[in-house]
Amino acid sequence: MSGLALLEGRALSKVYGLSTVLHPTDVVVVAGEVRGLVGSNGAGKSTLMKILTGAIAPTSGHILINGEIASPGRPLEMLRRGVACIYQHSNLVAEMSVLDNIYIGRQPTRRLGLIQRKLLREQAQALLARHGMDLDLDAHVSTLSTVRQKEVEILKALALDARVLLMDEPTAWLSVADVARLHSTIDGLRARGVGIIYVSHVLDEVFAICDTVTVMRDGSVVADQPIAQLDRARVIELMVGKTLATQALGEANGAARSAPAAGVPRLRCRALSKRGEFHEVSLDVHAGEILCLTGLVGSKRSELVQAIFGANRFDSGTIELEGVPVKFHSPRAAIASGVGFVTEDRHRDGLMLDLSIAENLVAATLGRYRRGLLLAGERIRATALRLITALNIQPPDFMKPVRLLSGGNQQKVLLGKWLDLQPRLLILDEPTVGVDIGAKAEIYGLLRAARDNGMAVLVVSSDLEEVMTIADRIAVMVAGRVVRTRETCETKIVDLVRDMGAVSA
Amino acid sequence: MIRRHGISALPIFFLVTFAFFCAVVPRFATAGNLEALMAGYAFIAIVAMGESFAILLRGVDLSVGAVMALAGMVAFDASLILHLPGYLSVALALVVATFAGVLNGLLIVFLRLQPFIATLATLAAYRGIVFAISGRQLVPGLSTTALDDPWIIGLETYFDVGATLGVESIAVPAIPLSFLLMIVLLVLFEVLLRSTRFGRDFYATGGNPEAARLAGIDLRRTVLIGYALSGFCAGVAALLLVARLTTSTEALGNGMELTAIAAAVIGGVRLNGGMGSMWGPVVGTFLLGVVLMGLTLFGISQFVQQILTGAVLLAAIAHSRWLQSRRLLPSAPEGS
Amino acid sequence: MTLGDRNFPLPTPRRSFFKKAAAISATLGAATSAWVAEPDPQSASVGMPAAHAADGTGPLKMAFIQWQPHTVPAAWSKGIEEVLKDQPQTQYKLLDGQNKVEVQVSLMDALINEGTAVIFLQPIDSVALAPSINKAKRAGISVITLNIDATAQHAAHVEMSHYYGAMEIARVMGEKMGGKGEVAILNAPPGIIIRDQRTNGFVEGLKKHHPNVKVVADQVADWSRKKAQDVLATILNAKPGLTGVYGVNDSMALGAVDVAKEKGLLGKLVIFGNDGEKDALESIENGELTGTQYTDVYQQGRFAASAATVLASGQVPATAFKKQAHLLMPFVIATRENVKQIQPSQRW
Repeated sequence: MSGLALLEGRALSKVYGLSTVLHPTDVVVVAGEVRGLVGSNGAGKSTLMKILTGAIAPTSGHILINGEIASPGRPLEMLRRGVACIYQHSNLVAEMSVLDNIYIGRQPTRRLGLIQRKLLREQAQALLARHGMDLDLDAHVSTLSTVRQKEVEILKALALDARVLLMDEPTAWLSVADVARLHSTIDGLRARGVGIIYVSHVLDEVFAICDTVTVMRDGSVVADQPIAQLDRARVIELMVGKTLATQALGEANGAARSAPAAGVPRLRCRALSKRGEFHEVSLDVHAGEILCLTGLVGSKRSELVQAIFGANRFDSGTIELEGVPVKFHSPRAAIASGVGFVTEDRHRDGLMLDLSIAENLVAATLGRYRRGLLLAGERIRATALRLITALNIQPPDFMKPVRLLSGGNQQKVLLGKWLDLQPRLLILDEPTVGVDIGAKAEIYGLLRAARDNGMAVLVVSSDLEEVMTIADRIAVMVAGRVVRTRETCETKIVDLVRDMGAVSA
Repeated sequence: MIRRHGISALPIFFLVTFAFFCAVVPRFATAGNLEALMAGYAFIAIVAMGESFAILLRGVDLSVGAVMALAGMVAFDASLILHLPGYLSVALALVVATFAGVLNGLLIVFLRLQPFIATLATLAAYRGIVFAISGRQLVPGLSTTALDDPWIIGLETYFDVGATLGVESIAVPAIPLSFLLMIVLLVLFEVLLRSTRFGRDFYATGGNPEAARLAGIDLRRTVLIGYALSGFCAGVAALLLVARLTTSTEALGNGMELTAIAAAVIGGVRLNGGMGSMWGPVVGTFLLGVVLMGLTLFGISQFVQQILTGAVLLAAIAHSRWLQSRRLLPSAPEGS
Repeated sequence: MTLGDRNFPLPTPRRSFFKKAAAISATLGAATSAWVAEPDPQSASVGMPAAHAADGTGPLKMAFIQWQPHTVPAAWSKGIEEVLKDQPQTQYKLLDGQNKVEVQVSLMDALINEGTAVIFLQPIDSVALAPSINKAKRAGISVITLNIDATAQHAAHVEMSHYYGAMEIARVMGEKMGGKGEVAILNAPPGIIIRDQRTNGFVEGLKKHHPNVKVVADQVADWSRKKAQDVLATILNAKPGLTGVYGVNDSMALGAVDVAKEKGLLGKLVIFGNDGEKDALESIENGELTGTQYTDVYQQGRFAASAATVLASGQVPATAFKKQAHLLMPFVIATRENVKQIQPSQRW
């Protein structure tokens, strides 16, 4: 069973007008194998995926399914022939039951279109049994946790007798425990001879679950090897080239940083408490330092930093900014005192998606551009161009609506807005979620540069690799309390994991 | 893990309100009043069911009142100007109403207009057409002529259930035909939505159109059928109302769209689409009816009545939100 | 059968008692004659309180279903209340039709079930309310319509003298115009009886009294002042020789006044309205509007209420009305000369 090529793409390419998004590429999905697909945004991963699922047709090349040519550009046909894709955002109907979602659009019917309920349920139960999965068929999908919803999506694909599963960022928003659960489900699928393509930014997962990996860069495949032959550093280097790779790794960190600033810390929190959220939290951030606040999902780190910023209330405790006690009643007050905040969900509360890059970049500093009752357009434009160059925002069109940028570039715009404020303290909440490795590296570089210029930086991050890469000091939070604060140079990842109380892997 | 919807409090609330008015307001629990309630609100419930189809699809149909006027005027003209036999007039009116609904669907599906905009435009257009074809203005004297075709007038009949069943001791309200028709449509629509594949597709289209599309569901067909049903229901309601009035006016159904939407929302139909039933709007309509009739008989001023109607609506929405929040656990994100 | 024609002496406050007495006796006369005209063989005893509330001994319930809130029905209601509050054991309430026929029908149903004795009704549509009126009749309830008649026979209809009043307007207007000239009519939307009455009366009146005054335009201005401004402006462009304007209600006539003021035509255009609203009377006093048909709307309400009390007393059963009583209100063509005689308490 394994070793059989289920899905093959031969010399697939895609050209839009004058630009070649995908150079002629071969790809193969083998039964019983999990193949990782990694690369920065713009590397051609998503184009390749769309061709394989039939969402778009290739400019040249062809697709073979079980050795037979498949007509390109027909998603329903690919589905019918056993190629299914599980997308990053949910394709379930939240208000319907698991049972309804699995068989959506395909329920067995009698005359007049009446659904054969008994048959439907029997089929579903057989499916669950066959794949060893356990789900409540009558539960409304909206009541399920994210990982279980992913399982429903997998079942939906399996109900179609999918032999090939393409998974796009399947672990976005999942906690560590959920990721493990998903991976064990994938193990089960692999054992049953399903071929899987696993697209992810999180290299740890790729190394954990994949058998082979395909690395793409600038529209071509640069490596296609069994995972055992590679290591993390090499993969990153393949993805973004040597220069950025160093930013992405921890080496750039140690040298530049001077000794921790003596004297009064930029930010001093003592015994911050809010009932039901955080309790007796004390931490310091010094000028010229990056402090990472890490912990499991649900440790209330976001609530804590929002309270510091004035976007959330707290019941007791003190906050001092350079020795001066402050209590911000609103973000506006915080900004006026030189505190910036890069939010967790850039779509919802960070960026104004329909406005242009320039408008977003100056959103926090509009006061500078006032000329009488109007805004000085020229100066705004100049600032925007300066920031776009400094942050390498692509495409460098300041009028472009931010909605049209990739995740990484959007995050850079958001960061640029706050950096231009030149705050004394910059707080970032999960700054690189949904950002590709190239942009991630650039963002790390920006944060380090800001730190070197004397800014105090407080980063909330659940990505332990990231924490180890950029933090000067690390604070671990569990269930609303800070349990340990460490110097990075004295810490290993296992220490952090132990602190968080999770079972070491 | 909570399995199903929390049981909606709506039927209980309805019964409690009904009981309250029966106890407190004199002459509320009389056969005559119950007949008036059924006759006065059955056709509104039918419009509410039709409106629910549109809302379930994440849309709205603002033109239902105008379609009612259109269907009513078509029946009027057909009977009194063209002198068509009654069954033809009725059929013609229903066809026109359904087609008006299909037109809404076409604007939404093919011109990609937002349902609010599309039905707002057709609302104006249909009202304009009603004035243009109004027999009452085209032929002088028709504005004082009553319809008398048995097929149309016959829609306003009452079935003396008490006499049939031989119940002598209490006065059993006579059931209006409009009420029975409403029940029939209610059953048909509920079966359609709950037990057929089309019904499941319908909920999917409203709940998550992208997921539905990827699952191979024909979104266009679903939307067209939904709005066609909305138009059809408006047509049926129009005929029932015309029978009751023995005439049709240009302003027929004015404001009906708001009542229908209110009844649907009270009945638990979610404005974002994908969740709701058919019996909800029906109960919602009669709840409104009970409250309004009860308050009128109680002597409460109509302006206060409007305030109370608004309060009922708010309570229904709050209840619906509360039900949703009880079930809410972290759900899948919407794209990166 | 009409009560009062032109130039009926206008009542003054100190004569209110007599006015009520006059009203009651007049209606009694009218009602009785209707009854006498076609005796109904079915209704056996005249003395049977068939029109009483079904409770028998409870208070007499009466209600008024208006079209929608407006000065006219509000004034009627006030007039009705004035009369009814002197009556023993009578309950009265005002209900709003919200400009929807189905609401009026629903309210009729509710009132019928409640055992109302008399219903005052301003029907939004003459045909649509007919089934409800028949239903009320069958339940022994008297229905009195105000201003707008219905196609089903009922107890009484009290209206401003639409037809004859319009004829009078034509006569007075023609005099003001010197017996010749061109007139434009600013009209109501078609399909309403009252429009036909007021227009036909006017046209017939011109034919009869001033055949040299010609109607050169007849446009719909939707009862609205604003619309009338636009419509008249357009008409003036087409017919610059216009010398007279007849607005089928006061609002439209006042719209014509606005346009005349704007174009400096006040002295040249003779403008008449119909209804007798407070604003119109003021405009006449200011020398802008030339005249209007004034009806004491409060009086109209009182007449209706008086008729109601007679019917509710049981002396005349509702089912006896094969032919309904038709009361035309006395009116006055108010012009600059006589407008002062209309007392402030009579203005609405």
